[in-house]
Amino acid sequence: MDSDIVLWIVVATALVFDFTNGFHDTANAVATSISTRALSPRLAVTMAAVLNFAGAFLSLAVAATIANGIVQADLITPAIVFAGLIGAIAWNLLTWYYGLPSSSSHALIGGVVGSAFVAAGPEAVLGEGLVTKVIVPAFVAPVLAFAVGGLGILIIYRIVGRQRPGPVARGFRLGQILSGGLLALSHGTNDAQKTMGIITLALVSNGTLSEHADVPTWVVVASATAISLGTYVGGWRIIRTMGSRIIKMDPAQGFGAQGVGATVILAASHAGFPLSTTQVISGAIMGTGAAKRVSAVRWGVAGNIVVAWVLTLPASALVGGFTYAIVALLGSDGLGPLVVSVVLVAALIAVMARRLVAGKTLTAEG
Amino acid sequence: MTVLGVTWGLLWQTIWVSFAAGIGVAVLFSLVILASARASDARRAGQDVAAIGFGALATITFLVFLTGVILGVQVMLAK
Repeated sequence: MDSDIVLWIVVATALVFDFTNGFHDTANAVATSISTRALSPRLAVTMAAVLNFAGAFLSLAVAATIANGIVQADLITPAIVFAGLIGAIAWNLLTWYYGLPSSSSHALIGGVVGSAFVAAGPEAVLGEGLVTKVIVPAFVAPVLAFAVGGLGILIIYRIVGRQRPGPVARGFRLGQILSGGLLALSHGTNDAQKTMGIITLALVSNGTLSEHADVPTWVVVASATAISLGTYVGGWRIIRTMGSRIIKMDPAQGFGAQGVGATVILAASHAGFPLSTTQVISGAIMGTGAAKRVSAVRWGVAGNIVVAWVLTLPASALVGGFTYAIVALLGSDGLGPLVVSVVLVAALIAVMARRLVAGKTLTAEG
Repeated sequence: MTVLGVTWGLLWQTIWVSFAAGIGVAVLFSLVILASARASDARRAGQDVAAIGFGALATITFLVFLTGVILGVQVMLAK
């Protein structure tokens, strides 16, 4: 079968992943602003979508091709990338359905690790890369953000605690708009790049693009559009969890979680140890709640989130590996990805149709 | 020192830089709000000198905070 078919299936799947990445991670930038009424929900997601779009154009050093340093790069084929993307999309949709914030990047890495493992065996996976780039940061991010967020809110309360609540709340709401904007821009520069990397890798491996060619403009525009559309649609279930189900936050806590969280993310990035935005913001929200009163945090919800973080890598790896096995069975040169794509799209349409028939919206809860 | 592939010096640097920057942002923005609130109270009470002083403090701390935001954008672009 024509290898172009596999290429375009990978491109389309990468854009679908980009879209789910956008709506899954909207909450990081907007949840606390919406919860403290710094911004109306629609304005918040519109601002985040525009900044995600702009961010995608700001830095084009297509840094990381996917799972760089985690799987053997020379063993990667379009079929492995396709199966990995399916694993990541499946995990993003599942965690979105249950309103659980989890790392889209870790899901993508897990998916590719699983499909590479099934395709080429254990030697395809670089254990050390997995430990240094995923497992250690996954422990550090929430604990560090929890501690910095907690200490930050105690200092904030100490400084502004005796002031009239009205002006203080207004001030922190303004600060949240700035920190939310910074997070959305950062998300665009970071996550849209991953999709650009995947598509460029697929184009190069297909021979459509030479190895040292620049990223085509249509790839940049398509990736930026997909992530910003996803952000605009908004993963409202996760926004609700991060904004009001972990703690009931005041504007100072909202700024503490989001402003301090954004600072931790950028400081860690500057130090050369990038951390998951989702884990940092979630950890910071828990920290600002616990510092005020330990019982202010709904630990049951927090526990579910931590379980989702622990399961992200193995679950997306499992789906990625299983998908690759089916693709390989049907033929990884075209028929496999085609059949899997058609079946998944049909299943998605059936689920959406059932929701619409039942009078429910496609993205909101209920 | 590298154990299990993790450079612990880098990890330690990440921790202290995150603490310093995070706490720095919290302190700076809180000072902006405190100084603005005090300036507004002083203006209402007719204490012009105090109002100007607190207003200046609010402006300076806000400018330092903005410098931090610009630094953040630079870090973002330097990846």
